[in-house]
Amino acid sequence: MLVSLKWLKDYVDIELSAEELAHKLTMAGLEVDEIKKIGPKFSGVVVAKILSVTPHPSADRLSLCDVSDGIETYKIVCGAKNIASGDIVPLARIGAVIPGGYTIKSTVLRGEKSDGMLCSESELEIGDDESGIMHLPADLHLGLPLERALNIEDTVLDVNVTPNRSDCLSMIGIAREVAAITGQKMKLPRIKIKESAEDINSLTSVRIIDADLCARYTARMIKNIKIKESPVWLKARLEAAGLRAINNIVDVTNFVMLEMGQPLHAFDFRFLEEGRIVVRKSKENEEFISLDGKTRTLPANTLLICDGVKPVAIGGIMGGLNSEVKEDTQIVLLESAYFNPSSIRRSARKLAMPTDAAFRFERGIDPEGVTTALNRAAQLMADLSEGSICKNYIDEYPAKIQSAQDIPLRMERVRQFTGTDIRVQDVIRILRGIGMVLKRKGKGVFLVTPPTSRVDISREIDLIEEVIRLYGYDRVPVTLPDVSVTETAPIARLELEEKIRQLLVGSGYTEIVNYSFGSPLAADMLCLPEKDFRRNSVRISNPLGEELSAMRTTMLHGLLETMKRNANNGSFDLKIFEMGRVFLNRKEGELAEERNMMAGLITGEISDTFWNSGKTVDFYFLKGCLENVFNDLKLNNFSYTSEITESFLHPGKSCEIIINKDQIGFLGEIHPDVMEKYDLKNHAYVFEINLDILTTHYIGRKIFYQGISSFPAVTRDVAFVVADTMEADKMLSIIYDQKEDLLENVSIFDVYRGKGVSEGTKSLGLRFSYRASDRTLTDSEASAVHERIVQKVVTLTGAKIRA
Amino acid sequence: MISELQKLEKDALAELSAAEAEDQFLNIRTKYLGRKGLLTGLLRNIAQVSDNEKPLFGKLCNELKNSLNSKIDAALLEQANRNKENILLKEKIDVTLPGNAVKYGHIHPVVQIRREICSVFASFGFSIVEGPEIELDYYNFEALNMPKDHPARDMQDTFYIEDNIVLRTHTSPVQVRIMEKVRPPLRILSPGKVYRRDSDVSHTPMFHQIEGLLVDKGVNFGDLKGILSAFLKKIFGSATTLRFRPSFFPFTEPSAEVDIRCVMCGGKGCRVCGQSGWLEILGSGMVDPAVFQNVNYDPEEYSGFAFGLGLERIAMLKYGISDIRLFFENDIRFLKQF
Repeated sequence: MLVSLKWLKDYVDIELSAEELAHKLTMAGLEVDEIKKIGPKFSGVVVAKILSVTPHPSADRLSLCDVSDGIETYKIVCGAKNIASGDIVPLARIGAVIPGGYTIKSTVLRGEKSDGMLCSESELEIGDDESGIMHLPADLHLGLPLERALNIEDTVLDVNVTPNRSDCLSMIGIAREVAAITGQKMKLPRIKIKESAEDINSLTSVRIIDADLCARYTARMIKNIKIKESPVWLKARLEAAGLRAINNIVDVTNFVMLEMGQPLHAFDFRFLEEGRIVVRKSKENEEFISLDGKTRTLPANTLLICDGVKPVAIGGIMGGLNSEVKEDTQIVLLESAYFNPSSIRRSARKLAMPTDAAFRFERGIDPEGVTTALNRAAQLMADLSEGSICKNYIDEYPAKIQSAQDIPLRMERVRQFTGTDIRVQDVIRILRGIGMVLKRKGKGVFLVTPPTSRVDISREIDLIEEVIRLYGYDRVPVTLPDVSVTETAPIARLELEEKIRQLLVGSGYTEIVNYSFGSPLAADMLCLPEKDFRRNSVRISNPLGEELSAMRTTMLHGLLETMKRNANNGSFDLKIFEMGRVFLNRKEGELAEERNMMAGLITGEISDTFWNSGKTVDFYFLKGCLENVFNDLKLNNFSYTSEITESFLHPGKSCEIIINKDQIGFLGEIHPDVMEKYDLKNHAYVFEINLDILTTHYIGRKIFYQGISSFPAVTRDVAFVVADTMEADKMLSIIYDQKEDLLENVSIFDVYRGKGVSEGTKSLGLRFSYRASDRTLTDSEASAVHERIVQKVVTLTGAKIRA
Repeated sequence: MISELQKLEKDALAELSAAEAEDQFLNIRTKYLGRKGLLTGLLRNIAQVSDNEKPLFGKLCNELKNSLNSKIDAALLEQANRNKENILLKEKIDVTLPGNAVKYGHIHPVVQIRREICSVFASFGFSIVEGPEIELDYYNFEALNMPKDHPARDMQDTFYIEDNIVLRTHTSPVQVRIMEKVRPPLRILSPGKVYRRDSDVSHTPMFHQIEGLLVDKGVNFGDLKGILSAFLKKIFGSATTLRFRPSFFPFTEPSAEVDIRCVMCGGKGCRVCGQSGWLEILGSGMVDPAVFQNVNYDPEEYSGFAFGLGLERIAMLKYGISDIRLFFENDIRFLKQF
């Protein structure tokens, strides 16, 4: 809401500076976003005195004046008649700029030089008087810039009115707040209606069919009006409020809306067929051309103002082109009504017509202010258009709006809730200051009736808010609540996430955060199979764009997009991870399944130290990192299987990650086809892990100390030649499955293909470590166990022992 | 004979001081002290020395032998040390080249802020709670005193999935879900992603919020001020000036915006604070009785306050970031700075 201080001062005296006022309003809940200064439309015009006036020697209509600005005397040729020596007048000197952008230059008029121009009110757009030179008060200081002498400058506060304060969507509403804050008296406009003999009821009628949407409809008729431009004062008011002036009738409706918060509409009565008003709901898909010339298809139940035959306005939102006030309008039917806030809001949203009127109606206007605004506007219209107001007004009020009354307010509650020891007389003073009526009801209890404009107040708490807001939040003492212990069970996953985050960051990974939504094409880019569950994404019905319309079902797309974006910026070496949710669609009407995931991607060189670079990341680099993480979390029983694989991963370099038979995620190189779809070069390795499942294992994990043997170990190295397809894990599990007590550990120390090992096979070097906990193992003891194990491996895998 | 001995000593010392390499020292030892050495030879001729000079001659010979031996030993040791050093010096590296560890990664700045805030509130006894990001209209709006067609819904432009399912526009619905299940007293904090249909330099369609709620008997507006002041001073420093200003949220009453003195200009007014000298940091208020009624808490018995803040905004202020979109572009050059 743009609030002109000049205008505001019509209703309340303000002694504060604009900045002080803005601060006070802000601290009372009416936040001032901006303080704007509005200047005059001219510059270089000063207060001057006419020293002498003599007739122009060669032009009857002109006179020659000597004019002083207090320092110098100027020769001015003037065409106006209303000047005499001694007059104080506005002088536009050479170089001055007057409205319309004209710069005053030295000229010669009929042979006489003129070094400036004396101005009329209308020439300076200060007022409407164009009959002659403007006369200024005699006590003004000569040479003073006119804008300062006349206080033409205005300041406009941009007040951010919260949705509950519909009463402050008007100048009078703001003024009421200012009065309450500063203790000044309100000056409300006097409304004097001069009615003609003709009764409105003999000329027209109003019939409300759908009273649930229109509780009250009032109307006046003004006849014999003359449409013209509005006076300068009115135009200035509208302009300061950010509205464009149109003509005297339309401008009055806007002015009164801004002044009182009541939206109004003026119909040209000659276009109302059957000369009457009918208020009803629309039928589905009724068409209507609104004032702005646009054809609107109306959804059902839009409130329509109709004449005897057709719609003439979308109630509370916008008038119709078919009944608008035109240049030759002579009879105006003026509407002031109360419309159902929810209905207006629904319609305005559906029609995408967030008009000033709708904005006010949907927040709730003062149901008892409807006729005041009607009369105020009728009077102004008559005054400004030389029209005459018909006798009486129509007031159809089928459904009385119940305003809040006698709300109990307990002093004890006020003090307890606010944490202050505010005095009774302060509470009374504050509430009366904003127009509340208080009745005492027993000790420490009041019955409070708010003004009907305060539609936001109906409960005790609403009153308490008013009290504390105007008392001042800064006066509430700072305290701390008593601690009552309220441990809610901690979320284990968050603890796990935090540990993993630390481990990954320590391993060189950087955390990223992507949007939870992306392109629905991601599923195709990832080559997900037709029936993959990740194709069933949740869709946003009103996305910012198609590319941001599908809730993610995997984090992979975001990782690859991030890689792409960084590659475009010249960053090719990445180790990144993300933790967040994916969303899987369920049945209509049900919330999605949300899974907590973590995912990561690596690509490029291992070290980002340029001088020592050269090694690039690979599958084992990423796997090693995950193994580290799992080890550090003391999560055991992990396995990696290449048996199941994801379509977006390289079939030879990928695996599923399994913990205690639960499949928790995957790991591998991105499939070249997918890389191509993303237009990515390089190799990228990714993982994705379901944190919810991981958490269940994390909670269940147990750490048991195992005794450390003080006896030495015996080690044996064996190189098995096995088929190339034999997985190391398989070998190890065969060995451990022997359950030899003395076998402490087996590790892989070498994988070799090439010379000396025939094509299609590889040599797998295993180091066996044997140890007893209670004695030093003899060589023969160790050999016996070792032989058994090696034999078993050979039998089960067909391996050959490499010499 | 003694004069021969003296000459021999002089020669030996001259040779020693001229010698540099290890074999030269060893040669000197052989030449003078070896079995066929000059000093040994001289000693062998002791018979030619007069009897009264014999003891002196013998003594001098022994002294010379010992002193030469120890001088040669010392020279050899010195020589060996010098060699070792030379070898090490040849291994000299450029210590100014950058180190070669895998560099640590970086935690996302918004996550860093979240951890910081959560740990401050943990110290006030708040527990972390979570809720769905795809939420029912009921929890996101209605239970929070924003019925359908309420103008306050305009404050948050909403992404819809279906008529009654939305992407949550704030983390406040979590408090309703928790209150439905848990009886007061309650101190909870719900961090998370929220979504609003908005995109420009200062808005992204997804961002992070933290919402807090404290409910107990006798909680008042002064307590709200107390907790939030303590929190902001921990985050922005104990010298931070703040103010509580009336505002409106449908689910709290009275409501308060909390501003801090602009961290950029110290209150003089700058571009960051829009010349006001103040920065809006969080929204807060006493829980509206209507919300309590929705979860069957008796507003006559219990009172409480709630607050919410945007994490990106805090991160932007703390780190001087002017474009919120940077948080989600994940440019590694940006992330590396935190």
